[in-house]
Amino acid sequence: MKFQLVTLLGVKVDQDVYEVILPTADGEIAVFPGHEPLVSIATPGAIAVRHDKHDDDSKLEFFAISGGVIEVTYDTIKVLVDEADSENDIVETEAKAALDRALKMKDEAKNQIELEKASALVDRHGVRLKVAGLRRRRRH
Amino acid sequence: MPSTRALKTRIRSVKSTKQITKAMQLVAASKMRKAQEAEEASAPYTRMANEILTHLASQGVTDDHPLYEKRAQVKSRLLIVIATDKGLAGAYDANGLKLYAKQLLSDDKEGVANQTLYIGRRANRFASRLKGTEVAAAYQDLPDDPAGGQLRAIVQMAIEKFESGAVDAVDVVFTEYHSTVRQEARMQRILPAGYEVVDVGENVREALFEPSKEEVLEAVTYRLIEAQVYHALLTARASEYIMRMMAMKNATDNATDLVDDLTLAMNKARQAAITQELAEISGGVEALND
Repeated sequence: MKFQLVTLLGVKVDQDVYEVILPTADGEIAVFPGHEPLVSIATPGAIAVRHDKHDDDSKLEFFAISGGVIEVTYDTIKVLVDEADSENDIVETEAKAALDRALKMKDEAKNQIELEKASALVDRHGVRLKVAGLRRRRRH
Repeated sequence: MPSTRALKTRIRSVKSTKQITKAMQLVAASKMRKAQEAEEASAPYTRMANEILTHLASQGVTDDHPLYEKRAQVKSRLLIVIATDKGLAGAYDANGLKLYAKQLLSDDKEGVANQTLYIGRRANRFASRLKGTEVAAAYQDLPDDPAGGQLRAIVQMAIEKFESGAVDAVDVVFTEYHSTVRQEARMQRILPAGYEVVDVGENVREALFEPSKEEVLEAVTYRLIEAQVYHALLTARASEYIMRMMAMKNATDNATDLVDDLTLAMNKARQAAITQELAEISGGVEALND
């Protein structure tokens, strides 16, 4: 099954995988080859990818995404997202610092616009931190 | 005839100008390639969004959506004008801003109120001399890769103004890149939302929509508008750089010609001075011999 992560900046990921776990508005869904065609909305969160049928959970690869749209067909999964980061690109300490900064911004927001901006940042960095944490846990 | 020394100084200064224009030409060429590549990279995103929207529209889902509402009378509209920050790009800004001015005039005639969102310092400068249009926002020094916060802020503002009824339409004025020799200022309506009709794959036609078609429509529409503005920004960037490259190439060629002419003039002047000196010496010798 083909898995594609499509952003405005280009196709970030294009690989053959066995299973993809996606965060959607109705909760997490796991998609295997042969899934019925589906179009759904992705919420900010972590996408987990299992490359081979025999891989256990410790081998899952994670991607942090902001919201997007999912298109599942029998043999492909396309995810249209605003932003996507591979776990390998995220440094946990940096993500933590960024989240702290965003939280501080949210506390100090003077108006609705600033508050919204800060909340979006909190969401984004929260997800990134979560993905970084998932990777660390898996390594130990 | 100017002195040899004056000509020498001129030649030196033209040569250093030439170095600068040559460097700007090369920089513009490489930046143009990058803008083009970025634009091509966004194609799969746009295509996927268009496919889903084409399908949803064929099912009538777009009919009632507020972002697709075509209002009977456009009483006010928001123009998004894209220009350069730096100039020195040939007719780029002149063409874009001329189209914009034409829009303002036609709005004036038809009694349509308008607001403008300016992108680029040149657009700001142009706007400061205008009356009658309200400035909605002004951006400058957008990064070469504009997919970040600013893009979202621009799109957000356009959508909010449209949804609240402050404006009845949103248009983007930009320069479309066709080829190295053809760039054209044009206008694209982004709200009420439109999409490009594309072939819908069987997979999408049979697909389940979760949580609902309306919600998927909302999410995809928002992203397509973002992609449209992104496309406008990038194609405008590519046009800007190709026009700057051509302008700088012409400047470099002119400088080369000028250096040739000046060198010729300098050689002539030097030769004239030598001839004159010789004439004076031989004149002196003749005088002594007499």
